[in-house]
Amino acid sequence: MNQDHHHLQQEQGSEDTNRPLSPWLVGTFMLALCWGAFYLAFNSGGFSQDVYESNAVNWAGGGTQAAAPVDPKVVGKRLYTQNCVVCHQANGMGVAGQFPPLAGSEWVLTEGNHAENHLVMLVLNGLQGPFVVKGQSYNNAMVPWKQLTDEQIADILTYIRSDWGNNAPAISPEFVTQIRKADAAQSDSWTQEQLLAVSPVKPSAASGAAPATK
Amino acid sequence: MHRLPTLLSGIFLVFLTSWLGLVAYPALQLGRLIPVPDPDNGGSFPPTYGGQAIAGQRVYATEGCISCHSQQVRQLSVTTSDVDRGWGLRPSVARDYLRDSTAFLGSRRLGQDLSNIGVRRPDAKWHFIHLYHPATVCEGSVMPCFSHLFLTRKIQGQRSDEALNLPSDDAPKEGYEVIPTADAKNLVAYLLSLRHDYPLPEAPVKKNGAAK
Amino acid sequence: MSDHILPHHDDKSGHLHVDIKAIDASVRLPVIILFGNAIHWLVIASLLSLIVSVKLIAPGFLGGFSFLTYGRLAPMARDLMLYGWASQAALGAGIWLMARLCGRPLGGEHSGGFGGELLRTLVISATVLWNLAVLLGTLAILAGYSSGVEWLEYPSWASAMLLLSFLLIGIWAVLLFDQRSTGRAVVAQWYLVAAFCWFPWVYGTANLLLVWKPIQASAQGPIQSWYCGSLLALWLLPVALASAYALLPRLLGSHLNRRNLATLSFWMLLLLGGWNGMDRLIGGPVPAWMTSAGVVAGVLFLIPVFMISLNLLGMDRKEAIVAGSISARFLLMGLYALICVGSIGALASLPSVSGAVRFTAFTEAKTQLWILGAISLPLFAVLYESFPQLLGRDCWSPVLAGRHYILTLVGIAMLISLLLLGGLFTGIALADPTVSFLNITSYSYPFHLMECVAQLLLLIAALTLGANITRALASDYLLNKQPGK
Repeated sequence: MNQDHHHLQQEQGSEDTNRPLSPWLVGTFMLALCWGAFYLAFNSGGFSQDVYESNAVNWAGGGTQAAAPVDPKVVGKRLYTQNCVVCHQANGMGVAGQFPPLAGSEWVLTEGNHAENHLVMLVLNGLQGPFVVKGQSYNNAMVPWKQLTDEQIADILTYIRSDWGNNAPAISPEFVTQIRKADAAQSDSWTQEQLLAVSPVKPSAASGAAPATK
Repeated sequence: MHRLPTLLSGIFLVFLTSWLGLVAYPALQLGRLIPVPDPDNGGSFPPTYGGQAIAGQRVYATEGCISCHSQQVRQLSVTTSDVDRGWGLRPSVARDYLRDSTAFLGSRRLGQDLSNIGVRRPDAKWHFIHLYHPATVCEGSVMPCFSHLFLTRKIQGQRSDEALNLPSDDAPKEGYEVIPTADAKNLVAYLLSLRHDYPLPEAPVKKNGAAK
Repeated sequence: MSDHILPHHDDKSGHLHVDIKAIDASVRLPVIILFGNAIHWLVIASLLSLIVSVKLIAPGFLGGFSFLTYGRLAPMARDLMLYGWASQAALGAGIWLMARLCGRPLGGEHSGGFGGELLRTLVISATVLWNLAVLLGTLAILAGYSSGVEWLEYPSWASAMLLLSFLLIGIWAVLLFDQRSTGRAVVAQWYLVAAFCWFPWVYGTANLLLVWKPIQASAQGPIQSWYCGSLLALWLLPVALASAYALLPRLLGSHLNRRNLATLSFWMLLLLGGWNGMDRLIGGPVPAWMTSAGVVAGVLFLIPVFMISLNLLGMDRKEAIVAGSISARFLLMGLYALICVGSIGALASLPSVSGAVRFTAFTEAKTQLWILGAISLPLFAVLYESFPQLLGRDCWSPVLAGRHYILTLVGIAMLISLLLLGGLFTGIALADPTVSFLNITSYSYPFHLMECVAQLLLLIAALTLGANITRALASDYLLNKQPGK
């Protein structure tokens, strides 16, 4: 009766049919719904108001949940790229005759009479005058970096001691704080003689040697 | 489905689910969060900030800073790149915004995330120069110049303390100085107050393995 | 062009208990005003979007003016697209569709007893109020009175005006449904009732809690995201889908094959639509369950999208008919856009993907495809379909209409692919903390450059449509009393 009416009217729905759905479609829909339910159940931190990290399932309720620790080497690499790469280059090899390399450097690896406090001190106050690295002498000024925070300096040093074949223990921010305080009086850049005249201070367990990092 | 009341009730009930979950729940739970006391110096977290910073929020809103900048450090279970990039010591949580009048969470990062800009750039003078002509301090920046937030005026007697030290390309002509207006000062005060680096019960700050 | 679908009195059945001419006459002026103004705002919004795109490659463009900074023009462009064009066109489409589907004219015994003239005056005043609210709200943002809340930048008085004018228009549509001439409701009517009920609720709640009397900011994030999702998926999309359900079967001379899916997809869309907005806050400062809800809603949203597409695109159709009807083509393209946006949304909801692309052009692509594709294309279809019937003659220029169609599709395709690609590259670079932010800005330059071209195409498309409607209406006024032509 209404076949002739193809107007935009309320009768238009009367010709609709109901073709049955393919079981594959129904199955996929059901699967998707199940996925949704499970995802919601296991990634919602127990539906607690205080849980913000979704991989901490805690059905007992809020409680403490640990934020994954940030890898200081990753942060250090970024800071190195922003601050140090200009001179020491991305491959840590420096520029021959101008900027000393960091890869294999005894100052970075703190070998022999070079200690960690020397490394921190030269970063904080910079360097001037002749300076020997790996048997080569350099005579360029290094700018002071004391405006960086203790965490930032620690992360950069941790990074340079772990890349390009270097493998030395990390430096902790607490150690940088300790050395910064000890050297508060120094205002000029260090010369090599002045630096090595300061007795070596290695990070002790008490002053917060950094824990093993990934 | 064919009678208005039936259809309306169905619509109402279904709509209620998202309304309850995303409007009522935040309003009643997240909207009632209170600051936690700061054990070290008697203040509270998040820290209060002064009237200039509160006025600065209005400037942030009306200048449309939210169009390009976000103010949230994302949860580590979703991505660690915000924290790795140095944009925050820890992910942001709801309580961080409780002192704001509007949560400028943002949805686009044409510019950096600003939730911890008060920690990264604590120098007001840098901010003034950056607002006046961003490309001078950030080469290649696409941020527009907010020179309308500044006043170029004739130096009266002595150069004002507030006058910006601009490079020669941007410096005003001889005998003139560029000083920030109240809006600029309020905005910078607000920017300097942006920090999410204090610990909260639901968001401890970790430094090299030791929780602070 | 649309001769074969002009309504006609069917003498064979003798059952015409609905006077289509009367219905069209009762809604003609309001619908024309709504669509006309909507297109006018579309042109302006497209122009602003172009300017804003240029500012990304040349920050000094139009610099030096406080009111032309990116931070003011970008929200203006967005809000004009949402409230000036899309919502207004949806109002126009909704009223026409509802009146026709319910078989009742606006005004008279079926509209609460209010006389036709009174009602029309009221609705027209409401449309004037709407446009005033949009205009003043936009100027307020320009002048520096933005509220600072995304998508709700209009100051309180402007948004209140907007809400009031919506209520004055929408309530009649719902009343028409109640008073309709048959007991059986069609799918399109459910969507229209839902849309007209939801916009006031969504808009009112969001404005109340975020702009008029802002609640504590710690709670504002989820509410703002809920608003964004609901505006698109619960107000604009239902009107677009109603257009598709109402017009497509008729235009194709076909009928739905899977009516049961229509019911199921209706309810699922309503359920998930509100939660869909949470994909804007995945990993954000909200409890973990909200992030998970956003992920699940974003992915599962594909289900109703798929069911609707299966239903509408699965109808028997002949290509010759499609080629001859611009409305049918716009509707089909709108459905394809909906499938795309559902898929992109599902992908972007996965936490690992969201972690990389959330703040990049990828999200912008999704929003643009929603507004320009899934919503605007069906609204264009209603426009092209309704005007000949309202004006009683073939009023569109086929050349201009064809150009509008091609330019729109090419512009959308270009814009979306550029935004997606650019967003993906930017996102991957942002995820690597050793890449500096300013480097990333320079990587995106070529994409932003090409996006300007795409925006230009869309502007030309909008201008073409503007020219077409001006021609249609102007000749209507000029030739008002002349038969034929």
